[in-house]
Amino acid sequence: MSDRTLPRILQTPAVVLLLIWMLVPLSMTLYFSFIRYVLNSSIRPEWMTPSLSNWRGLGNYQYVLNAKDFWFAIQNSVFIVSSILILTVVLGLGIAVLINRNFPGRGIVRVLLISPFFVMPAVNAVLWINMILDPVLGLQGIAVGGLNNLIDGLRDFPVLGWFFDLWPKLEPISFRATQTSAYAVIMMVAWQWTPFAVLIFMTSLQSEDESQREAATLDGASPWSQFINLTVPHLARPIAIVVMIQSIFHLSLYAEIEIVSRGNGNKNLPYLIGEFTSNNIGAASATGIFAVILANIIAIFLLRMVGKSLMD
Amino acid sequence: MATVSQNSKLGNILWPTLAWGIALVFFFPIFWLVFTSFKTDADAVKPEFLFFFTPTLENYTNMTENYDYWRFATNSVITSTFATIFALFVGVPAAYAMAFNPSRHTKDILMWMLSTKMLPAAAVLYPMTFLTKNFLGIFDTHFLVILVLCLINLPIVIWMLFTYFKEIPKEIIEASKMDGVTTWGEIKDILIPLAWGGIASTALLTFIFCWNEAYWTVRLTTIDAATLSKLIEGNRAPEGLFFGRLSAVSTAAIAPIVILGWFCQKQLVQGLTFGAVK
Repeated sequence: MSDRTLPRILQTPAVVLLLIWMLVPLSMTLYFSFIRYVLNSSIRPEWMTPSLSNWRGLGNYQYVLNAKDFWFAIQNSVFIVSSILILTVVLGLGIAVLINRNFPGRGIVRVLLISPFFVMPAVNAVLWINMILDPVLGLQGIAVGGLNNLIDGLRDFPVLGWFFDLWPKLEPISFRATQTSAYAVIMMVAWQWTPFAVLIFMTSLQSEDESQREAATLDGASPWSQFINLTVPHLARPIAIVVMIQSIFHLSLYAEIEIVSRGNGNKNLPYLIGEFTSNNIGAASATGIFAVILANIIAIFLLRMVGKSLMD
Repeated sequence: MATVSQNSKLGNILWPTLAWGIALVFFFPIFWLVFTSFKTDADAVKPEFLFFFTPTLENYTNMTENYDYWRFATNSVITSTFATIFALFVGVPAAYAMAFNPSRHTKDILMWMLSTKMLPAAAVLYPMTFLTKNFLGIFDTHFLVILVLCLINLPIVIWMLFTYFKEIPKEIIEASKMDGVTTWGEIKDILIPLAWGGIASTALLTFIFCWNEAYWTVRLTTIDAATLSKLIEGNRAPEGLFFGRLSAVSTAAIAPIVILGWFCQKQLVQGLTFGAVK
C-alpha cells in the first residue's frame, strides 16, 4: 500500500458521511423550491406529491419575496443578531479586561461567569421568560409591584408626600408581544454568549506582548490610550471571529424564538421556514435557500480567516 | 494587564469587587433557577416567599411523576454518549491521516468540512423529516438522533483533533513506521496515548454540544427518542404555572452539563474557534 492510499482510506468515512449529509437534503430542498408542493390541498391533490410535472420555476422564490412575513423575518433576524453581537462584544471586552488580572477568587469568578454558556437553550428561554421576565409572577413583576407599593406608602408621608404623588405608577413590561419578545430573546442569548466572548478575549489577552505595554507605560501613555492603541488592535482578530461565529449560530436561532414567541409574530428565518413547513413545502424550501445564501456570505469571511491560521 | 489603578489601594479593592459583582450578576439566573426549584409551585409565585420559604424536595421527588424525567434523561445520555463515540471513531483516523500525511487537498477538505457546519439546519428541515419518516422509517429513533448529532459535530471533532495531533512531533510517528508498526498499531499504541488529553477534551466538548442541541432533537423526535431539550420545550409553562416543578426539572437537565463545562473551559476556545484564537 502506497503512502497516499492509506491516509485517503482513513479519511474516507468522514468525507463520505459529511458529503451525504450535506448533499442529499440540500439538493432535495433545491428541488422542492422549484416545484409546487403542499402537504394538504383538497382542490389540487396532485400538488401533494413532489413531481417534476408540478414545476413552478422561480415562482416559489417570487412568492416568498412578495410575502410580508419574509421581509419582516429577515429584518427581525438581522435586528436580533446585530443587537446580540453589539452587546456580547462590548460586554465581553469590558469583562475580559476587568478579570485579566490577579485578584482573590479569580478562579471562582471565571467559573461563575462561564456557566451560562453551558445552559441548554430550551432551559435558558424557559427560565428567562417565566421566572425572570414574567410581568406578574416573574422577578420583573415582583420588583415592579414592590416599587409601586413602596411609592404608595411614601405618598402618605407628611410634608414630602406631594413629591411622590407626582410619580407615575410603574407598569411591568410584557415580554410576550411581537417587539418586546425580540428584546427578551436578545437579552437571554446575550446572557448566554457574553461568557463565550469573554473567554475568547481573555485567551487572546494573555498572548498580548507585555514588553510593548511596559514600553508604553514608560513613555507615559495612559491606560486608556494603551487600551485603544495596543489592546484593541491586538483583539481585532478575536473580535472578528467572535462576530462571525456568533452570526452563524444566531442566524439559526430557534429554541429561544419558539419558546418565547410562539404565535405572537416575532419570527426569524428558521421560524418562518418552520411555519411554511406545516403546509407549503415549496415556499419553505425557497426560504431555506435564501437562508443558505445568507449564511454563506458570512461563512466565506470566517473560513478565509480560519484558513489563514490553519497551516501554521 | 498593568494599569494605574492596580497600583493604588483603592483599585485593589474596587476592581476585584466589580469583577465579583459582574460574575454574580451573570450567575444569578442559574442560582435563581436552582433556588426556585426548592419552592412548592404555590410558594414560587408568592412575593412574600421570595427569599424566605420552607424548602422542599417534592419537586425533585415528583419529577418522574410530573415529567417522566428519567426517560428523557436516559435518551439524552444514550444519544449524546453514542454520538460522541461514533464521532471520535470516524474522526480520529481522519484527523490522524490529515495531520501526519497531509496532501495538497487536506486544507481544502478541512475547510469544506467546516462549511457543512455552517449550513442553516432549518433549510433542510422538510427533506430530513421526509427522508426519515417516509423513506427510511427511522423518524423518532435513537439511531437517527445519534446519527444526526454525530454528523453535526463531526467537523468540530475533526478540527479539534487535528489541532491536537499537529502538536505531536512527526518524528515519533515516522520512527514507529521504520520499526514496522502497522497503522492501526500506530494509532492505538502511539497516537492515542500521546494525544489522550486532547481526545478526552474533544469528547467532553462534543458531549456537551450533543446534550444541548435543540433543533434536530426537537424536530426529528416525538416520544421514543425525545431528549431533555424536547422535554423542556414541550413543557414551557404558560404564564407562571408550575414554576417550582419546572425549575426542578430544568435544574436536573442542566446540572450535569454545567458542571462538566467547568472542566473544559479552555478547550471550549479551541473547539469553537477552530484553532484560530490562541
